[in-house]
Amino acid sequence: MDALLFSQYVLSGVVIGVIYSLMALGITFIYSIMKMINWGMGEFYMIGSYVQYALIVNLLGPRLWYVALPLAMGAVFLLGLVIQRFLLRPMFVGGVERRDEYATIITIALMVFFRNLAIVLGGPNQYAPPDYARPMTLVTLPISGNRFVALIGTLVLLALFYLVIKKTWVGRALRGAAQNRVAIQTAGIDVLRLDMLAFGVGVALAAAAGALLAPDFLVYPENGAISTFKGFEIIVIGGLGSVLGSIVGGVLLGVIEALGSVFLSAAYKDLYGFVLLIGLLVFRPTGLFGERERSV
Amino acid sequence: MIGRVRTALLAALLVVGLTAPALAQKSVKIGVLTPLSPPGDAAAGQFIVRGAKMGAEDVNARGGVLGGRKIELVIEDDAGTPEKGAAGFRKLASQDQAVAVVGQFHSSVMTAVQALAEQFKVPVFSTQASARQITERHLNYTFRTHVIDPDRCQMWTRWIKERGFKRAALITENTDYGVGLVDETKKAFASMHPGAELKTIIFDRAVVDLTPQLLEIKNWKPDVFLNGGIGTPMYLIIKQAYDVGLHPVVPMLISYDAPVRPEYWKTLGEKGTWASFIVYYHSTMKLTARGEAFRKRYVAEFKEDPIYGAFNAYAQVVLLADALNAAKSDNTDELVKSLLANKFEGWNGTISFSRGEGPYWQQWTPPMLVTQYTKPEMSFADVKIVYPPELKTGDWMPAKR
Repeated sequence: MDALLFSQYVLSGVVIGVIYSLMALGITFIYSIMKMINWGMGEFYMIGSYVQYALIVNLLGPRLWYVALPLAMGAVFLLGLVIQRFLLRPMFVGGVERRDEYATIITIALMVFFRNLAIVLGGPNQYAPPDYARPMTLVTLPISGNRFVALIGTLVLLALFYLVIKKTWVGRALRGAAQNRVAIQTAGIDVLRLDMLAFGVGVALAAAAGALLAPDFLVYPENGAISTFKGFEIIVIGGLGSVLGSIVGGVLLGVIEALGSVFLSAAYKDLYGFVLLIGLLVFRPTGLFGERERSV
Repeated sequence: MIGRVRTALLAALLVVGLTAPALAQKSVKIGVLTPLSPPGDAAAGQFIVRGAKMGAEDVNARGGVLGGRKIELVIEDDAGTPEKGAAGFRKLASQDQAVAVVGQFHSSVMTAVQALAEQFKVPVFSTQASARQITERHLNYTFRTHVIDPDRCQMWTRWIKERGFKRAALITENTDYGVGLVDETKKAFASMHPGAELKTIIFDRAVVDLTPQLLEIKNWKPDVFLNGGIGTPMYLIIKQAYDVGLHPVVPMLISYDAPVRPEYWKTLGEKGTWASFIVYYHSTMKLTARGEAFRKRYVAEFKEDPIYGAFNAYAQVVLLADALNAAKSDNTDELVKSLLANKFEGWNGTISFSRGEGPYWQQWTPPMLVTQYTKPEMSFADVKIVYPPELKTGDWMPAKR
């Protein structure tokens, strides 16, 4: 095994891991604020990819893909706001006793609904928007221009997210809600409005991943399934609720899967991530950067 | 008393009189179990449904079967997964009382439903599922009018040898089809091209990032690589092979006829150029009168040339109608006997089923051809047949970059 090839495998794992971490960040962000798992996250990834495709092919043209990206994110953000307002808010204000079960049923129903809606509206076939950029070389790795754009786009979005969360008033409020939903209300913050915002931002991050990866991983009704699956793995590895954990967990998962699929067998690529996940659950159940929940 | 008997007799006669015509006109149901949603190759399923529907329309326009009964198709989606296929077959056999089921595309689904076909005693037809074991199991209710993987692998090995390629890589999915391709290609290389080297990679069908595997193949420096993906994975392999610099620098042969579909260029753009691929139908082929009539009607209805899956599904429905008429019964055991005893006009030749050795059991095989796209957005009608030599209409060309 030469060093060049090994570096290519590692780099390809790092790139895909960083991109997947965007999805994980969306899941963990929604969980942090609303204390619920959005099982339909992959469908927001899927909707993001469809909106991106539709905008590029029907409206903006291939050169303006970067205009389509924020529009796709915005559309899914608005959709998230509506869904949160009408379907998920009753969890907190409607006297729902079993909130976890309620959220699970609603988000799984949304998953089935959106997947079938995509088949009805777009047919079961796959589509691909034109390439965002020509293939290039990243250090030693020959890489699709789309993948490179997705990597840069992900890093920019992660940085923006970090800045908003750490440096703005809204970010401080969101962090407060993540720590204690009741206490934050004593400071006069409308936590229900924060829920809407968090859900919208979380699903918009998934939509961004879908839009960025659309030319490479294609647009079809079930294209969000894999990234959701990876997103859940990453948040367990990195630690539920941790932004840094999402990134480190994503990179770890990407590299382990890339190396395992080459040195062991490509037929069991998903298994290697699970071995890591099980190992972590045994030795560090909170994940790499997760904190043990404290209650009084 | 006599009055009561008379009333009862009149009532009985009325019931018989009203229901008898209805019974006589009861339709004969044929199931179409095919992938119509992901993760199955849903585009393939749509073409199969088109062909089957046109077959039923043609039979009904000619007066139906068994003295005027109409053929009614019952369409079920197997989504390319064995569990959905099994559920669909159970419904077709038990609830819908289908006399036969056509449309099978994925080998993994076909191997799951053929066991149910034996249990329910309902013939099942492989329309495009090609794994060896499907007919090698020698099951009474399994029929196939499609190629078998050993023949496919021997054909591409002959092509590889003819081109002088000494190192071939095969990347395929972890399905019955993919695993079968690996086994059969290894056997074919050992017996037909002993000096050549073969590298095989089997990936999980659910995986979307194949970059490490394609880098591995590129680093191995093959003379040719074989794309054994079905549906979305086939497209992912082409796109990602292009991005890592493997395709079209290294010639690629796609294992089946997906590139003939209109979606091919929409999905791949210029990355689809220089792909070689196996087909079972080409517009230059001589068709039977039935096949030619179907082609004309299909072009008139859909404004495009039919593809093989539609031809084959059409032929299966029509031959089932012929077999039912020859059997003079919709009893499925009689139908099987009729299928084995008679010859049927297919879309490009006469179809007959015999119980041969190994996988050649209740099997009829169409021709296989290697073709190649040499220009972006090339129409399939303009594609040349580059192999086998006896049917060749043009020469295979290496990529120009």
